[in-house]
Amino acid sequence: MAVSVIGLSGSPHRHGNTETLLDAFLQGADSAGGQVEKVVLKGLDYNPCMGCNACHKTGECIVKDDAIPLFDRILAADCLAVASPIYSMGITAELKGLIDRAQFIWARKFILKNLYFSNEHIKRHKGIFISTAGLSWDNVFDAAFPAVTAFFNTLGFEYYDNIIANDMDRYGGIRGHPTALINARERGIQVVSLLEKMKGESP
Amino acid sequence: MEIKVLAFAGSPRRGGNSETLLDWVLASMGEIEGVVIEKIPLTEANVNPCRGCNACETLNRCVQRDGMDVLHDKIIEADCIILAAPIFCMGICAQAKALIDRFQVFRSRKYVLKLPVVPPERKGKRLGIFLSTAGQNWDHVFDGAVPSVKCFFHVIDVRDADIYYLMVNNVDEKGAILSHPTAKPDAVRMGKEVLAELKKRLGG
Repeated sequence: MAVSVIGLSGSPHRHGNTETLLDAFLQGADSAGGQVEKVVLKGLDYNPCMGCNACHKTGECIVKDDAIPLFDRILAADCLAVASPIYSMGITAELKGLIDRAQFIWARKFILKNLYFSNEHIKRHKGIFISTAGLSWDNVFDAAFPAVTAFFNTLGFEYYDNIIANDMDRYGGIRGHPTALINARERGIQVVSLLEKMKGESP
Repeated sequence: MEIKVLAFAGSPRRGGNSETLLDWVLASMGEIEGVVIEKIPLTEANVNPCRGCNACETLNRCVQRDGMDVLHDKIIEADCIILAAPIFCMGICAQAKALIDRFQVFRSRKYVLKLPVVPPERKGKRLGIFLSTAGQNWDHVFDGAVPSVKCFFHVIDVRDADIYYLMVNNVDEKGAILSHPTAKPDAVRMGKEVLAELKKRLGG
């Protein structure tokens, strides 16, 4: 069975730097035989988490919108690529809105304890964070990592790789960057090849 | 002399831990003469996320017409701006992040168009407060939120050294903060301290 890759585009800006970088990664994944799907969060209808904690009792989210079937698709994937530009030193409100909605899965794991991902499962599910930032600062992605880490942990994905490029303002966008797109494509090939190899091996 | 305090309750949960912390700060500020407080729950503020269109870099205003139209002038006029928001999944809740990102219009004004955000005579006379709560007991649980909070304040001419922080971890269920040993006295003290500092700076 082909390695399935789902890429979430968390930018409100269609076909901008981050989505273009995600596309390069997904093209690489596709060329290596991956079964690739891109989800543009802006095109979905979902609300941020309301913090009602109802899921702490039931393991289900009481808000029935596009986020729920999306989580089913994410959990069925072998590789999850999460893409967001950096706005105000963090990920976009759209992506954070989705990440916060994973609370019901967190509740299943840590409160109700009826969901468990084995180390073997986690090793075979790779999470990749894709991001761009206008600023040149080396620390511009630092505040994004904790929420992305929490998201991968909650969903049973190993936080495998960052495909990130800062200083977009200087390069005049991702297409002006000397290596970012080529690099993203190669990483797409690499992770699908690795996951395919792992699928061939018995756990 | 009037001192204007503008407070954002950023949690989607009304009356929860971060909002309670905010209410304690505001109550202690309200005891001081001449303080005018306005509290805005983001659940009622109709603030959409930033679209990333960058139009504000040339227009000096946002192309979206929503609750920010009303908030824009209030943000500039306030002497003290408070943001209260819980940590969800190791970051500030999405609702508060949407507000932070909409401050892009101030960032464009300040850093791209190089126009003043507040009149020169009010520079260095604005204070900010970030109040937060988190369910996790980890010390680093607020680390992902703070850089965005700094952006929020820097772009509206609240200097880094003029941001006050009160962040309380290990409070999860609604009302948990009520039994926290130090949160309330710390909040009350912070309210008084910030106003005393403002009065000093405003020369009143």
